Amino acid sequence: MTTYDERAGLSALAGTADRVRRSVESVIEGKPEVVRLALTVLLAEGHLLIEDVPGVGKTMLAKALARSVDCSVRRIQFTPDLLPSDITGVSVYDQQRREFEFKPGAIFAQVVIGDEINRASPKTQSALLESMEERQVTVDGRTYELPAPFMVVATQNPVEMEGTYPLPEAQRDRFMARVSMGYPSPEAELRMLDVHGGPSPLDDLQPVAHAHEIVKLVEAVRAVHVAEPVRRYAVDVVAATRHHPELGLGASPRATLHLVRAARAGAALAGREFVLPDDVRALAVPVLAHRLMPTAQARMNRRTAEQIVFDILQRTPVPDPYAHSGPPVPGGL
Amino acid sequence: MVPLVDKTTWLLQAALLLAVQAAVGVVARRVPLAVWLTVLLQALTGLLLLTVVFARAQAIGGLLPGPDVLHEFAQLVAEGTDDVGRYAAPAPATTAIRLLLVGGVLLVGLVVDVVAVTFRGAAPAGLPLLALYSVGAGLAQGRTDWLWFLTAAAGYLLLLLAEGRDRLSRWGRVFGGGQGPAGGAAVLAPGQGPAVAPVRTGRRIGVLVLGLALAAPLVLPSIDGGLLRPRTPGKGEGAGGGTISAVNPLVSLQNNLNQPQNREVMRYRTSAGSPQDLYLRIVALDRFDGSSWRASDRKITDVPVPLPAPAGLAPGAVRTEEAITSVAAADGYAQNYLPMPYPAQSVRVEGRWRYEPEGRTLVGDHGQTTRGARYQVTSLVVEPTAAQLAAAPAPPEKVLREYTQVPSTVPPVVADTARKVTAGAANPYEQAVKLQDWFAVGGGFRYDTEVGSGSGSNAIARFLEEKRGFCVHFSFSMAAMARTLGIPARVAVGFTPGTPQSDGSVSVGSKDAHAWPELYFEGAGWTRFEPTPSRGTQPDYTLAPGPAPDDPAAPSPRPSRSAAPRPAPSTGSGCPAELRKSGGCGKHTPQAQAPARADGPSPLLVTGIAAGALAVLALPLLPLAWRTRVRARRLAPGAGVPAAWQELTDTAWDYGIPPDGSRTPRMAAARITAAGALQGAAADAVTRLATAVEQDLYAPGPAQAPVQGLAEDVTLVRTGLRAAAGRPARLRALLAPASLRRRLSAWGTAWTAARARAVTRVRSSVPRRGKPDA
Repeated sequence: MTTYDERAGLSALAGTADRVRRSVESVIEGKPEVVRLALTVLLAEGHLLIEDVPGVGKTMLAKALARSVDCSVRRIQFTPDLLPSDITGVSVYDQQRREFEFKPGAIFAQVVIGDEINRASPKTQSALLESMEERQVTVDGRTYELPAPFMVVATQNPVEMEGTYPLPEAQRDRFMARVSMGYPSPEAELRMLDVHGGPSPLDDLQPVAHAHEIVKLVEAVRAVHVAEPVRRYAVDVVAATRHHPELGLGASPRATLHLVRAARAGAALAGREFVLPDDVRALAVPVLAHRLMPTAQARMNRRTAEQIVFDILQRTPVPDPYAHSGPPVPGGL
Repeated sequence: MVPLVDKTTWLLQAALLLAVQAAVGVVARRVPLAVWLTVLLQALTGLLLLTVVFARAQAIGGLLPGPDVLHEFAQLVAEGTDDVGRYAAPAPATTAIRLLLVGGVLLVGLVVDVVAVTFRGAAPAGLPLLALYSVGAGLAQGRTDWLWFLTAAAGYLLLLLAEGRDRLSRWGRVFGGGQGPAGGAAVLAPGQGPAVAPVRTGRRIGVLVLGLALAAPLVLPSIDGGLLRPRTPGKGEGAGGGTISAVNPLVSLQNNLNQPQNREVMRYRTSAGSPQDLYLRIVALDRFDGSSWRASDRKITDVPVPLPAPAGLAPGAVRTEEAITSVAAADGYAQNYLPMPYPAQSVRVEGRWRYEPEGRTLVGDHGQTTRGARYQVTSLVVEPTAAQLAAAPAPPEKVLREYTQVPSTVPPVVADTARKVTAGAANPYEQAVKLQDWFAVGGGFRYDTEVGSGSGSNAIARFLEEKRGFCVHFSFSMAAMARTLGIPARVAVGFTPGTPQSDGSVSVGSKDAHAWPELYFEGAGWTRFEPTPSRGTQPDYTLAPGPAPDDPAAPSPRPSRSAAPRPAPSTGSGCPAELRKSGGCGKHTPQAQAPARADGPSPLLVTGIAAGALAVLALPLLPLAWRTRVRARRLAPGAGVPAAWQELTDTAWDYGIPPDGSRTPRMAAARITAAGALQGAAADAVTRLATAVEQDLYAPGPAQAPVQGLAEDVTLVRTGLRAAAGRPARLRALLAPASLRRRLSAWGTAWTAARARAVTRVRSSVPRRGKPDA
């Protein structure tokens, strides 16, 4: 049974999340589903990859999210000459105190915006991605914990552009979800002209939640119940990517983990204390698509990973415990 | 070969020339000349004959082939090859095609002559003939006449017979040939006396084989396209066969799709919110004449500014957005229609373009093409909702009359399949969605651009049977089927939205060429559907009630809930307890076999017959009885959520909404509400049931207190479904409930499992017996 505390936690979560969502949406016009996904990833302790062409508001989304939550924000503009130590930090010898002093790098913040992450060299990329996964940084043998909540929002331009090092599949796996902003609708774009004509709307943004509130929400999300059939469904969907004829590389077990975590956050955002297969379905495309590698044949047929995941969802049966419970007769349950 | 060309005069020509060539061979062998000399002479004769017939103007002295003649031949052959590529059978008999045909026949004739007569091998001589026959049969696509086959095969068998007789007679007397003089003449002249017996046997074998070849395809149902298969009923010389007409842009469509390279044909930028729905339309094919879809001849006008309001689109009734699209066509792309999103409101374009109001297309005048064109189109993005389309009023009489015409030559299977697929749909919109989903998901169709680009009535029937094809097949078939259902339909040809580029533009390649059906719904106007699997995107408004394998006739390729293994009832026999109780199983009836030999009908016999008749009469009511019983059990107090939910899904199935394992309870509920057109209390009841299932299955902790009112909710839904269904659907749900299949498949599974267990047991017992020896 759901305890009183859990219910209270969930209703608090719904309220706080709603405030953050409205705050972000006041800046990002007409993209409620993108904002919702960003929030889901934040609550599921994941990292978000935003991939789209320049100028559609990738950085704006990341900044708005960070500002709406009262937490520390750092932005790293990735360039080919960025060094791993610029991200993690470096030990400097202090002449007066005669000891090494650690100068934390740009990663030491609660929301880190990695802009155009595919412009940095692979070495620098992997420095970032390692600290993302472990939530700590080790420099000169000493380990420094990163603050909580910790979320990296990386943006990436489509890989055909010059001077980029596209993230390898293994690295993309570290991101919980990928989202593409897409162009705004004409109305939204018109409203945007009105709003952005003046001073930056980001400046007006006031924090609507504290970082420690978010930490509590994250804990509430962890407590969301995932029933066995739902877990099996998530495993089935991910496993289907590994055998799909149009996919050269399927999703990893980490993807399953991310999918269930995201589904928990999705359920919590909907004010539910348990996960439905619907939550898994709704998040499967953003959580799985960026990890998959369609075969050359599929690419020639213009099949995108998103389409293939959608296809898999259409074909994967939702585990039906009733089907195994025998012919339904009175008392047969 | 006759069906390949539209006139048969060439046949006479070929026969004459062949006769001359053969005569030369006969004379040469009489002389006798060396073998190679004979062949050379025949070949020269052939060349001479061809020169006289086809290139007399270029010949030396009007007779002898010189270099000019060879040049002329080369040109004709090139031309002929082109023609062959351009026309489908039957092609016009141009000089070039005639040369190819007659030349080919002469060549094959020469080879056969050499092999059969010069080298005395009748059997291999059949091979070139077989090649000739298969080319004709293959190209004519099922229009081969069995009579031709009979003639050809009989001829070949005669050839074999002649050879066999010849060979046999050389052995001397053979068995069974009557009583010749004992130890008599060892050698008989060929064709005399006892050699007749094997000839007779051979003739018999020949007739038998031919008969078998003709009859076997009739008997074997799996060998499709048998020789005796009837052609389109009501049609004479098969004029409506799978032909394409070279006048519409479809011909280049398959070429485009099959090209190894994807050439860019245009690039555009658009302000449309969802660019994946921005199909670029070239032309609308609105006339279905039974042999192909084509654009009607319509009046064209100057391009008005702005363009008139699109037909059927009521302003304010559905959500529309304006989108501005700037297109730059590639220099290599010359098309005399302007590709535009639909419906365009205004177009800014240079050049001699004219406007065709019915199809809302721009047509180039005086050879104007899109080559290098730069233009800007303001169009509407129409976003109807599923509910709006479902509630669309009847289309105006004029549209209905014009766009639902289906010629009588269309095979009935098209309309039958359409009805079967859309069974249970409450309105034209649902029918359309079911059709689309059947093609795209549930019907087991495969996307394949290698399939012949057939069109027309036979081609549709063939496609429905073979289930392989590309966009042309899918769109033609869906449009034709929609018309048979009374939904105004036409086919649009153009491009899918292309691939977004990094600079924000979208590149459209030759491989994006596409055809799709447009169906008319009052209020939204012509509305795009996407039946082709793995191409383009299915519009949002068709996804709302959800794609599903709705066809009760075709088994769904997906694993579905119904296919899940389920323990069978332990009745042991193939008859459920309920059925046995009501005396329905076939086993109990055959008392009619009883003492039939008695002089008069014995009382026992009469009782038996009466019981049998009663049983037969009661048989149709068995499903009804079974279903009622199951329902009563499931809805009994305390039966619980799973039973109620199964009853709900089964009830929906009975009313034509099959269960789909890939749907969550919530989605299944939404689908039952949408497809069953439930409203008010019934719709709320479905939602309540789905919520109860979610709680039961997915919520934490021990099961909650028993939910009240489940049975009432299921009954509410059932009443709602019955109210929305038509009389046939209601009757079907009552007398032949589809959910019976769930039970049948469970029996099937149990039977398979039992058999597997038995096999394992037998296998495991065999080595055990062998062990002591080892």
